[in-house]
Amino acid sequence: MSIMPMDDDYPISTISSQESSTNDLDTDSIDTTNTSESSLTESVESKYMPPWTKPYIIGIGGASGSGKTSVAAKIVSSINVPWTVLISLDNFYNPLSPEERQLAFNNNFDFDDPAAIDLDLAYECLLNLKEGRKTVIPKYNFVEHNRVPDQSITIYAASVIVIEGIYGLFDRRLLDLMDLKIYVDADLDVCLARRLTRDIISRGRDLEGCLISWQKFVRPNTIKYVRQTLHNADVIIPSTGDNTVAVNLLITHIKTKLELKSKQHLKELIHLGLSDTRLINEIPVVHQLNKGHQIRSLKTMLLNKNLSRADFIFYFDRIASILLSKVLDHMSYTSKVSIETQNGHQLADQILCRFDQITAVNIIPSGDCFMHSLKKTIPNISVSKILIQSDSKTGEPQLHCEYLAPNISQFKQVYLMESQIITGTSIIMAIRVLLDHDVKIENITIVLYMATEVGIKRILNAFGDKINIFVAHLVSNKDIHDGNKQWALKRFVDVKYFGC
Amino acid sequence: MTTEPFKNVLLLPQTNQLLGLYTIIRNKNTSRPDFIFYADRIIRLLVEEGLNHLPVEPQTVVTETNEKFEGVSFQGKICGVSIVRAGESMEQGVRDCCRSVRIGKILIQRDEETALPKLFYEKLPDDIANRYVFLLDPMLATGGSAIMATDVLIKRGVKPERIYFLNLICSKEGIDKYHAAFPEVTIVTGALDKGLDENKYLIPGLGDFGDRYYCI
Repeated sequence: MSIMPMDDDYPISTISSQESSTNDLDTDSIDTTNTSESSLTESVESKYMPPWTKPYIIGIGGASGSGKTSVAAKIVSSINVPWTVLISLDNFYNPLSPEERQLAFNNNFDFDDPAAIDLDLAYECLLNLKEGRKTVIPKYNFVEHNRVPDQSITIYAASVIVIEGIYGLFDRRLLDLMDLKIYVDADLDVCLARRLTRDIISRGRDLEGCLISWQKFVRPNTIKYVRQTLHNADVIIPSTGDNTVAVNLLITHIKTKLELKSKQHLKELIHLGLSDTRLINEIPVVHQLNKGHQIRSLKTMLLNKNLSRADFIFYFDRIASILLSKVLDHMSYTSKVSIETQNGHQLADQILCRFDQITAVNIIPSGDCFMHSLKKTIPNISVSKILIQSDSKTGEPQLHCEYLAPNISQFKQVYLMESQIITGTSIIMAIRVLLDHDVKIENITIVLYMATEVGIKRILNAFGDKINIFVAHLVSNKDIHDGNKQWALKRFVDVKYFGC
Repeated sequence: MTTEPFKNVLLLPQTNQLLGLYTIIRNKNTSRPDFIFYADRIIRLLVEEGLNHLPVEPQTVVTETNEKFEGVSFQGKICGVSIVRAGESMEQGVRDCCRSVRIGKILIQRDEETALPKLFYEKLPDDIANRYVFLLDPMLATGGSAIMATDVLIKRGVKPERIYFLNLICSKEGIDKYHAAFPEVTIVTGALDKGLDENKYLIPGLGDFGDRYYCI
């Protein structure tokens, strides 16, 4: 039995600038199809857990100047995956009151007491990340001793999180969220030397002030609190001399864990939809183009490997326009208006299509094949973009970035476009991204040129038949099993459309 | 002579989208750029519908994986014929689907002396007799000029069952009159209006299509 080689590896393309929506989202006098405002997204029972729902969290603790940051940096660069996030607990320092700030300016404030750090907020942020939600972490200014207003860092969809700080291994709640706890150990005199260099050069302090705070706060706190966190660690890394061997051992361990996580993710994805034995033609949310002569001849031409690229683009754009028109035929979001014709006839209760309530999300690059036909159909439509790539070795889909319209959750229809799906995994991940951005599942419509039955069933099984899917060329499992339809398992539509 | 109701009439499915497009082009307050854009969208749907009824022949192609796919291919052999001037607005819609399609033109105007339509000019492909013809005229009101244009086509040897008359709005009166003359021609339309007023304009119609597309 041949089930889906995972060959969705396409090169990273440059991302064109995102169109901002100029649509007027005023919702007066519109028959909405919404049933109730409450908890529609919460009620979605998704069987799909994206990798960022259970990110691998590494905690790193150790005294100030012990070398935590360089260990963390080595780990992050060796894992070498873009969805790794490094968070410093320094971002969570409590903002100081004017009196405290004055103390701090006089080097008289104890920054090394656990109470100086907002561990509650740090826990809240880490918990959000652990549960796959979008998280905003504050940014701290060490010169002003305050959080930088309006400059927070948004983190979303990280599948590896490294959190480091002197109290990285201090709080029980944080420790419970971590998969790996590392303590970086160095002698206190080494720590002091490193700390002086850093504070004077990059934080603008003077030598005398640094020495005062070391004697008064850093040293006692390190002995009193930080050293104790060593007992919470899984691993202790020495940081006085060369620790390459120790760090490399750690990295090997982390990589093994991540591979296991990848395999699990992929296994869950592949498993979705395999047990669905329904006839695809009888699933009401799956819509196919009619079997008219013209459609059949267009599909035939697009399969011909000898068709020139110019012709391929022309005929793809044609069938894409037909497909988009069919999608719009199912548009439920309309209102009524009264108009007068040029001959003076009054017409009441005419249907007004709210094209301005529609937005599109293209999966880069394959969804961009629809750009031309989309603009020909709804010229001023706002288009969001999501880059999801499959790992070339394992086929695991990975979210690289998302440029979503800021008001995407307010649109009544979100068309998620991809020209060809084989495994369906990137669409499933894209849907998860939309849901994480508060798009209601019933507002999502998927538009595909070519799709395999198993890919479509995976989507339906992951999200429970709540999403309408429009597809121009659907290839059934039976067709693939019977042979002669292996082209449906080869990614060629966007390759030929874009010529690379 | 009466015709069988709606035989050889292809009315586009009256979906919300289509009705919404008609709301825009019927509204006298729609600006000309919008009128053109949305009229073009309807025209495209009419052309695609017409094309879907043309015959195909079996064709086997070689796919990317070198497997053979047994599909069909469109025979080509079509041409568009527009009735000047309003019909010319529909030419681009045909071109958007069939890039190098041949397009003929027929000019028919009202003779001031007899008050009847009169043929002033025709320019048609030489081999039109062997082709399927998309006759283009956006409004079918009384059917006078469409009947005269179809007559020209038939005199040039085009078979009536190979003619598809594409229009955006028609009336039952117009269909009956046209089909009384040419029962075998297929009418492809998107809207069926109530009837004609005393000036033989469609009710509710959308005004003068040519003026709105080209001038106002």
